[in-house]
Amino acid sequence: MTEAESVEAVAAGSALELRSVSKTYGATRALIDVSLTIPRNRVVGLVGENGAGKSTLISVINGVVLPDSGSIWINGASVRFGHPSESALHGVATVFQEQGLIPTIPVFENIFLGRERKFLRGGLLQRGRLIAEARAVLRDLEIDIEPAVLTGSLSFGQRQLVEIAKAFALSRIYPVEPIILLDEPTSALSDREIAKLFDGVARWRGKASFLFVSHRLTEVLSLCDEIVAMKDAQAIAQLPVAGIDESDLHELIVGRQRDAQYYKEDRQAPPAETVLVRANVSKVGALHDVSLTIRTGEILGIAGVLGSGKSVLARILAGSEAPDRGSVEIDGHALARHTRREAIRHGVGYVPAERLVAGVIGSHSVEWNLTLPNLGMLERTLLRLISVAGSRALTRHWVERLRIRTPGPATACGALSGGNQQKVVFAKWLAYGVRVLVLDDPGRGLDVGAKGSIYALMRDLSHDGAAILLVSDNLPELIGMSHRIVVLRDGRISARFDAPPQGKPRETDVVRAMV
Amino acid sequence: MTEQQVPETLSIAEHEPGRPRAGMWKRMRQAQAVMLPLAAIAALVAYFTAVNPLFLSVDNALNIGRQSSVLLLVALAETIVILIGSIDLSVGSIVTLVGIIGASAANRFGWLAGAVVGIWIGAMVGLVNGALLTRLKVPSFLVTLGMLSILSGVANQISQGESILLESPVLSNLVNRAVLAGVPNVIWIALVVTGLLTVVAFRTRFGRYLFALGGGEIVAANAGVPITAYKLAAFVASGTICGLAGVVLTGQVGAGTPTAGGGLLLDSIAAVVMGGTALSGGIGGPHRTLLGVLVIALLGNGMDVTEVNNFTQDMVKGAVIILAVSLTIDREKYAFIK
Repeated sequence: MTEAESVEAVAAGSALELRSVSKTYGATRALIDVSLTIPRNRVVGLVGENGAGKSTLISVINGVVLPDSGSIWINGASVRFGHPSESALHGVATVFQEQGLIPTIPVFENIFLGRERKFLRGGLLQRGRLIAEARAVLRDLEIDIEPAVLTGSLSFGQRQLVEIAKAFALSRIYPVEPIILLDEPTSALSDREIAKLFDGVARWRGKASFLFVSHRLTEVLSLCDEIVAMKDAQAIAQLPVAGIDESDLHELIVGRQRDAQYYKEDRQAPPAETVLVRANVSKVGALHDVSLTIRTGEILGIAGVLGSGKSVLARILAGSEAPDRGSVEIDGHALARHTRREAIRHGVGYVPAERLVAGVIGSHSVEWNLTLPNLGMLERTLLRLISVAGSRALTRHWVERLRIRTPGPATACGALSGGNQQKVVFAKWLAYGVRVLVLDDPGRGLDVGAKGSIYALMRDLSHDGAAILLVSDNLPELIGMSHRIVVLRDGRISARFDAPPQGKPRETDVVRAMV
Repeated sequence: MTEQQVPETLSIAEHEPGRPRAGMWKRMRQAQAVMLPLAAIAALVAYFTAVNPLFLSVDNALNIGRQSSVLLLVALAETIVILIGSIDLSVGSIVTLVGIIGASAANRFGWLAGAVVGIWIGAMVGLVNGALLTRLKVPSFLVTLGMLSILSGVANQISQGESILLESPVLSNLVNRAVLAGVPNVIWIALVVTGLLTVVAFRTRFGRYLFALGGGEIVAANAGVPITAYKLAAFVASGTICGLAGVVLTGQVGAGTPTAGGGLLLDSIAAVVMGGTALSGGIGGPHRTLLGVLVIALLGNGMDVTEVNNFTQDMVKGAVIILAVSLTIDREKYAFIK
């Protein structure tokens, strides 16, 4: 933030200010010296890639996370929150992507949840007064919702409006002006609902201040007065919106130096001519005529923002979701049924994004995890008993081959580091002998070193002739690792890039095709 | 945040002997699950022997075996279902119904027909339980709660509340006589089933898939495990073993009675959990359940031998169950306790 803007902010009075806030989780630095200001009655946009630190920042402001250092100021006074209920007393309210309302109670109860004391008389709640008060709040905001209806009966967009009303209701109980954090509020809304929300924000900004987080840069530019850009856990700029366009924002939030060494780009060999995977699929509301091929030894990168359909595409190729139309062919054979079983039979391995939910069973041993899809090949004798020696040998072989750091094959997977858990997921498919691998964000949550060894492993597999589909939110990774890149936007292919070692596309070009 | 770091992990190839191995604490915690029931068994034996020396005798040991064999079978059936993360509340009522229908069938068509029909009924009830769970997507708790009521009703309807005595002694002789080492066959039957199931659990694809279903259904699905088929199979296996338990119990008492399975449900779940099989699924096994059944059996028999009255016995048993579970339960597996 420049001197001039800082002066201006003080003049208008800042609703919220963060000064040099830092937060570290283990080895990961989630926020480094972040400072930002939300001037009173302004809308500030917060932009940045996934993992840039936006979510942690929101959590620090609303009191879910206590920062390691730095200070938070509200209306000029220093505050320290140990719990979300404390930030609420200062008017801070968060409207989450996953909503925080209880669906089984009426709207008015949600609006005053936890703050009913004012409406108690002789130990009983005065329901009539609660409803009247909630109705007044909603009317003030021009939100057309009946306070006595069940919250669960409302649409997603309506519930979001209730969350905002809840924030304003606070100022009827405490003498505070709301500071409302909108965390990706539009990602699940229809265009009409988005317009309604934006109209509302424009109307309500006279009596509240907003922080607006969104992937959609057009929305940020149209709604906000100022923009804070985050990259690699730092707030790199706070700028007035006037005179900025989307490509300026792209430059701000990406434009990081990509380290060719890190992604082993020198080891990227041209793929063979043979096409191993051929897909042409559609899925209502998610994918429209997406057609692609992957050759032997090729890494195909899929880029796209949240909701672009890239995860659905990964699941369809892996067989765990069926397309409405189209087919997936592996080595010339179309999948007869769209099930994981069938895909595995054709040699498709799947490394899902959520490692501990979908990749490994944390309470089971490395050996049990690694052999889970491979029990068939370990069955011996007439009784088809699983060979103890065979199972042990298979596990040892792959633990050594992938250098999985574990005290032993019997150690529970949950006790390994994230990178080693991920290697176990790879190992179970390599042990099966797959020729195609679907990787959904394989570097998620891993530290720099662990990511590096996963990248080296991907290069090895590619040299051995595997066809790899790589879905990732991490653009440098996607560009560095892939032979070719397909960009999805709203379920359609919006661009294709060749990415040979000497001619990698620029991040900004890829981002432009994404949004 | 979902990552757990263990310091000093070494790859197998690099491991040097003598260095402290990581995960030791975790392994001790796992060992604790087996040690606790063993310690409880030792403590119970020591205490009851001190009060009444006759407790520690071959005769009483065989007594305990006879008293707990049916419970062991039912608890094994329950183990299978709990391993996949479900629960079966109908186990006791299956035993009752099998007793009533099995005894009637035995009286009409011979003991073998009675036994076969009994086991078949168990399997079919398991199939229906599993089908309701997987097709209608009703939680196993509710499916089997309903089934418990239905089966009890059917058993009472058929028997009109009366016991059905076996007219031929063949089945009773088969169950109660001792063909080997002076140990009654009923004990051998229960032990052989325990052994078989332990092998099935750890050395067959079926068994390992059960563990995978309970440990992480999504992981299992991604590994190509046919989830629905295996859930169904788990309930069928459980029902079949309950059917066997019903037949054995009928032979043991020489009759099918409408109250036969009454106490089995709670005791079997208590035994499974005390043995160290997690209610959340994926951890434990049939061999563990053997230990849990022993704890319950020793406690019951010991209180009989030391002449504790029945009402006090119930209170003590309940307290022991709560204490044991509070010691063994793996709280990491529960996001919150409801």
